[in-house]
Amino acid sequence: MTTASSENEGAPPAPTITKLDSVSFDALLGTNNPFTQGDLSFDLRGVRLITASALTQLAAAILALNQRGQSPTVLIDDLSVRSYLVRAGFLEVVGQVTNIEPPLATSWFYEARHGMNPMLIELSKVETGNELSNLLDRIVETLRSRLKYRKYDAFDVATAVSETAQNSFDHNRGMYGLIAMQVYGKGARRFLEIGVADCGDGMLATLKRNPKYSLLISDLDAIREACKLGVSEHEDQTRGTGLYHLLEIAFEHGGSVQIRSGGGKARYRMDKRMGWVFGVPSVPGVQVALTLPSKGRG
Amino acid sequence: MPHPDPTLNVMEHRFALAKYGKQLWTRERAKEIRPDLSAIFDKAQVGDVIVIDAGAVEVFDFSFANELFGKTLLSLPHEYPGRFLVVEHLTKYAGENLSKALESMGLVIIERNGSGKNRLLGKVHGIDETTFAVIARKRGSVTASELKDELGINLTAVNERLTKLTNLGLVRREKGTSQAGREQYEYRALS
Repeated sequence: MTTASSENEGAPPAPTITKLDSVSFDALLGTNNPFTQGDLSFDLRGVRLITASALTQLAAAILALNQRGQSPTVLIDDLSVRSYLVRAGFLEVVGQVTNIEPPLATSWFYEARHGMNPMLIELSKVETGNELSNLLDRIVETLRSRLKYRKYDAFDVATAVSETAQNSFDHNRGMYGLIAMQVYGKGARRFLEIGVADCGDGMLATLKRNPKYSLLISDLDAIREACKLGVSEHEDQTRGTGLYHLLEIAFEHGGSVQIRSGGGKARYRMDKRMGWVFGVPSVPGVQVALTLPSKGRG
Repeated sequence: MPHPDPTLNVMEHRFALAKYGKQLWTRERAKEIRPDLSAIFDKAQVGDVIVIDAGAVEVFDFSFANELFGKTLLSLPHEYPGRFLVVEHLTKYAGENLSKALESMGLVIIERNGSGKNRLLGKVHGIDETTFAVIARKRGSVTASELKDELGINLTAVNERLTKLTNLGLVRREKGTSQAGREQYEYRALS
């Protein structure tokens, strides 16, 4: 897979973001990055839709700030988004470490929580391989029963999630992965989006633990390297295949992959089997967004 | 259970993967299973065959395959020389994933198909496949010199191929004696 450099996406003008996804998340950080500025808030006023990958990215960012002893604020004014966050499991994962403004009334919170889960897989925190195994079984079951996926297509999705998510706790001590999945669009344009994120050391620091990659200096270089076959923190012939296989699955399904780590991001468009890299506002950890054309028959 | 092959006196040890689940995900899960497989290898003698029966296993991911199959194959030449590892009853999906996983690690495994025939799965080069097939057809031991004539290549090339197949755990090398009384290496494969 080849990659090409592109213009810096990190400092766009400050638009009103109505849809928070894996791309506009960087625009949000461009207006205020709580990791580099004093303002510990994520201003989602104006946002009317948050995608699965953005949900995992936002949660990972909040948890990263919490690891630093900080408690960020999330500003949300839209009632449907507030309700959505509750039902999508967002508050289950980060509710204890963030302030929602305006505050959610307790009674309203419980009412919203008992509403219908809006996602195929709500925001989930996995810390071990066994927890991940259970979630992957659920992903297969959900795709098969709710979207009428063929068995092997569902296996491909679960395999892609598995190879991505295992990195979170394989390469970071005491770390967890955040996963969410949702389907968007209609008919032939329907697609599946999966977000996998963590707030660990990131690819650059991880790869540099292997002396072979000690000369890597940028997040972009680390992402490029990590996607190559056999590149890993561990000097072990059975390692370093996860992201390679993720890209192969995405290619076979005609999907796309965005890999973000630190201050770098690579987007792979599988119809061209090509990747583009960008500098982005720095946040800890690795965040992956995978989109695949929906194979559901329903 | 004794193998029916009259020339290769081997004992088969079977390892049923399905008892651990139909959907096998993650390296961690494979790490839990590997000691059970290693225990079988520990009991096996030189020349024995360890068969992983993947029947009823619908899927395993690459990390699982790397840890269970990859690590085991890598340990064969050093920890368990002379034992053969065979996999059988792979579903189409599991077979494809295993093949891709082995390819990405540069490894090869013997797969026994439904009719009992062995083939190589993983990073297989045509010449290795041919050499393996010729040795397997012999249904007994063969020397590099005999293979040289059969394959129509020089002795150095034959030895290179045999070293590779031996290091991959696909061929067993034994010391034998030529008709002239000289010590020589003989090679065997599962037929």
